[in-house]
Amino acid sequence: MRALASMRGISKSFGGAPVLDGVDFDVFPGEVHVLAGENGAGKSTLIKILAGAYSDYRGTIELDGRRVRPVSPLEAKRLGIAVIHQELSLVPPMSVAENLLLGSPLVRAGFVRARAQRAGASAALAEVGLNLDLDGAVEDLPISSRQLLEIAKAVRLEARVIVMDEPSSALNAQDAELLFSIIARLKATGRGIVYITHRMEEIQRLADRVTVLRDGRMVGSREAARMPERELVALMVGREVDDRFPRHGSAPGSVALRVEGFSVRGADRSARPLVDAVSLSVRRGEILGLGGLQDSGASQLLLGIFGGLPGRASGRLEVEGRELSVRRPRDAIDAGLALLSNDRKATGLVLSQSVTANICAASLGRLSTWGWRNPAREAGLAARIGASLRLKAASLDMEAESLSGGNQQKAAIGKWLAADPRILLLDEPTRGIDVGAKHDIYQLMNEWTARGIAILLITSEMPELLAMSDRILVMHRGRITSELSRDEASAERVLSAAMGKVEAAEAAAEGKVRRC
Amino acid sequence: MRRIGKAWACALVVAALFAMGASAQAKWTIGMSQCNLGEPWRVQMNADIKGEADKHPEIKMVFKDAQNDTLIQRSHVEEFISAKVNLIIISPKEAQPLAEPVSKAMAAGIPVIVLDRDIIGENYTQFIGADNKKIGKAVGEWLVRKYGGKGATIVELMGLQTSTPGQDRHNGFIEAIRGSDLKVIFQADCKWLEPDARKEMESALARYKRIDVVYGHNDPSAHGAFLAAQSVGREKGMAFVGIDSLPHEGIAYVKQGILTATFQYPTGGDVAVVEALKVLGGQKVAKRIVLGSRIFTADNVAAGGEPLK
Amino acid sequence: MLKTLRKALSSSAGRAALEFLLVLALGMAFNADGAFFKLGTHRDTLRQASVYGILACGMTMVVITGGIDLSVGSILGVSAVSFSILTMHMDWPWPAAVLACVLLGAALGGVSGGLVARAKLQPFIATLAMQYFARGLAKYITGGKKISTYVTAKSGEVVIKELPSIFKDIDSRILWGNLSIVSVIFFVCIAVAWVFLARHKWGRELYSVGGNEEAARLSGVPVRMTKFLAYAFAGIMCAVAGIAQAAQETQGDPEAGKDYEVIAIAMVVIGGTSLSGGRGSMGLTLLGILTIGYLQKILSINAVPEAWRLMVTGVIVVLAVLTQRRRAK
Repeated sequence: MRALASMRGISKSFGGAPVLDGVDFDVFPGEVHVLAGENGAGKSTLIKILAGAYSDYRGTIELDGRRVRPVSPLEAKRLGIAVIHQELSLVPPMSVAENLLLGSPLVRAGFVRARAQRAGASAALAEVGLNLDLDGAVEDLPISSRQLLEIAKAVRLEARVIVMDEPSSALNAQDAELLFSIIARLKATGRGIVYITHRMEEIQRLADRVTVLRDGRMVGSREAARMPERELVALMVGREVDDRFPRHGSAPGSVALRVEGFSVRGADRSARPLVDAVSLSVRRGEILGLGGLQDSGASQLLLGIFGGLPGRASGRLEVEGRELSVRRPRDAIDAGLALLSNDRKATGLVLSQSVTANICAASLGRLSTWGWRNPAREAGLAARIGASLRLKAASLDMEAESLSGGNQQKAAIGKWLAADPRILLLDEPTRGIDVGAKHDIYQLMNEWTARGIAILLITSEMPELLAMSDRILVMHRGRITSELSRDEASAERVLSAAMGKVEAAEAAAEGKVRRC
Repeated sequence: MRRIGKAWACALVVAALFAMGASAQAKWTIGMSQCNLGEPWRVQMNADIKGEADKHPEIKMVFKDAQNDTLIQRSHVEEFISAKVNLIIISPKEAQPLAEPVSKAMAAGIPVIVLDRDIIGENYTQFIGADNKKIGKAVGEWLVRKYGGKGATIVELMGLQTSTPGQDRHNGFIEAIRGSDLKVIFQADCKWLEPDARKEMESALARYKRIDVVYGHNDPSAHGAFLAAQSVGREKGMAFVGIDSLPHEGIAYVKQGILTATFQYPTGGDVAVVEALKVLGGQKVAKRIVLGSRIFTADNVAAGGEPLK
Repeated sequence: MLKTLRKALSSSAGRAALEFLLVLALGMAFNADGAFFKLGTHRDTLRQASVYGILACGMTMVVITGGIDLSVGSILGVSAVSFSILTMHMDWPWPAAVLACVLLGAALGGVSGGLVARAKLQPFIATLAMQYFARGLAKYITGGKKISTYVTAKSGEVVIKELPSIFKDIDSRILWGNLSIVSVIFFVCIAVAWVFLARHKWGRELYSVGGNEEAARLSGVPVRMTKFLAYAFAGIMCAVAGIAQAAQETQGDPEAGKDYEVIAIAMVVIGGTSLSGGRGSMGLTLLGILTIGYLQKILSINAVPEAWRLMVTGVIVVLAVLTQRRRAK
């Protein structure tokens, strides 16, 4: 049987850093081909190349044995490749029918043929077994229906290769079942499906074939039946974890933060909760690592605890034994919490303001008298914090925008150090910064815990998680699937749990555990 | 909230009773469509109409404000037609677009009196209006009589030069002073606005040592110029002349000695009501009435001014 | 020399100062027979720019939050007529009338602020609505007529009342006639605005909210209150400007301040304060106010026809904003 699509020797780099290195990938008619790998393994880039989003790659693509080189998403669509992204491409105020025919409306002499449109739209819905009101506005639909509508749209466009990038991430169990039945239908009509997922359960249930990417390289491609779970995880982890990270554990003290039954609902009521009744506690001087893959809900958990998702978060919080009600970030800050958000440019810093202003941003009330600021006091504090963080800037008066990534991150951290917190919620503290700055931040984490600060750490880098955490909680789709002590933790066990395997007693006995 | 609602309801009932009481006696209803009530002069026109109409219990006035929108004014006429008013007075915003609805009213047997601005075609009962060009000319002639032979210098603070009244008040004036030794040394388009006139006058004062006369196309412009001159102590010996002569503006300024003279641009509101009564009473009326103007100076203001020839 | 110049031009303030100097040079070149060199001309220029300048102070606060206030001219009108009615017709003592106008301005601005901060309306929409509403309110209060000392008595006779002394006082001058009180009021407003913006916690929070609202929120900044206060402050500035306007006109005109918002926005933008929020300062706004003020004056003393004034102003605004545009790195 000839492959529908076949990619050979695909390589691509961003600004000199290779993200894909000679990857081969095939999709056959009537199969579900799961593409697996950790965050940053290169899955999205590979898909984007297939979808025509990048044109500066090396390697070849064949469709039905014919050499093609799609250079735009439109061209890829015409060639029969449809990608269903997590960010949907629907137009919210338009109706279901209009959305289904968007980009290829049925027209005669420039006028939309309304009746033909409707017929085409309802046929497309029928094909995937979806029952929606054709005239309803898409913005009124729950997210799950929108996701399914997106698939119907791809099918109508006579796509033969359909790429689904974590299509179930927003779906509740019932809608996920509907999705699986749609996939079964599509398979039966001879379409090829590329499926990206972080859920072990879905891999086992759907996959005909599994390809694993790691660090931009294809490390294994096999029929699903010949890829047991343990082997899949081992392929994904692959590398040895070295001891670059100097964690000096300190004796944990009393409980600093206790969270009970904490939930965060999705932006849409019908979507599954992003955080589902999570309970945890972290002690003074302890680093509690939160592991998980995309959509684990860990970021939303921290944001919710910090009061950043008003109206969507619920649950009980206790800080140093006292119950705390957090309605806005200010409440959390006053209770001694600090949240280093995962995107310093979007949510961490005010880039147009000076470094000093950023460092003082969360402590202005304390630094001011009757609301009147004291520039000398602010400058003094910023200088002290800057020095303690080894922040390098020509002047602390310059705009944060002009700092390097690592120093921006230090400024963002500095804002919270200035507020003198007792509990630090760190979401990806080392994302996008160089090795030297990373090392500085690890050192600082050691210093802080030595002073009795409790740290909740989210990181998508497995070695960092394993090395810096005193204890690890792994989350999968909003729930904690595993709790591992520093000694029990291994990349394999974290990854299995992150893919939805609930840690059972016998799992602890499994061998080949890499210690760090 | 509920209490306020009740208060409103009471007010509405009372207002309705009043309206019924008034209409109980009225024999005729006259619809009046004003093109906009943003200008004090037009507010005065409505006040003049109301003042005259109040003397005649047999008529009831219905006022509408088109807020400077031709389309709204068109619909006013249509509404008056369907409400079957006995007569329509309209002070139109634009000549062309209002001709057709006015014709419709005439066809429906409703007489129409057009006030101030003419409309295209002759299909109306009567036009009443003053002549801006004539008044501008009268200002010029009066100044030539008073200041001719001394080489007087003039600052002209013009009304909006993209509007017909502004252009006419300018052209008539220039026509009158042509050939005399009066000279316009500074001109600015103040768009009828007093603050703008004050600013422009300040520039003129900074630039010219000798200014004898300030001609404002409306009284507020002349008043603004006076304030500018006063603030540098140069108002004495300068003549300030304006147009319009509204009781609260020009006439009051003359009474206070701020303006030397103001030339009336009559609203014709009172005349329109008198003429309307003639039409309703079955009398024949003139097709066009050009309103006479009056001049108000310190000498005659107490006596109600003098008519211009 | 060239190096110092280049350094000066690398900052927004340097560029704004250069724009102002260029306009001054324009004035020297077209000096209208020396009128431009008279002290009185500069005094008048300053006074004429003052009402716009007071509005621009409030506008700067709003623009720094990333918003815009289209209602300033209308609120000025409400304040001008309210102040005139209270002092001329109701014989209130002037401090009480000033207080009432300031409270009214703050309330109207606060409503815009509430609509933006709490109801999450776009500033353009919320303040456009307020522009209409406040203009309507000014007309409703006055019945569409100007409020002056000429009052119609019961007999129908027009009676001339004494002009309250506060009107003359505001429209007078100090320093041997060389500085208008209106300009002094403007300087006080810009100083107050400057102190709040540069030295108060709220000022810093305005920048944070305008620069990155989400980061500000997560830093514990009371985002809604910060925005609300910006619009309320702008409303207070409108009230002050309205009083100054009424004093200069010796009357309360319900149409006062029409289209002033456009001039106030132009002054803020020409100074270099970014319409996208987060950047700017009172010093920049001051330069913007002077630049536009002098430009208007130079066009006026040269008796430039209206059509040319509009075109020249348009060109200068575009050139100024182009100079101020941040260079891409």
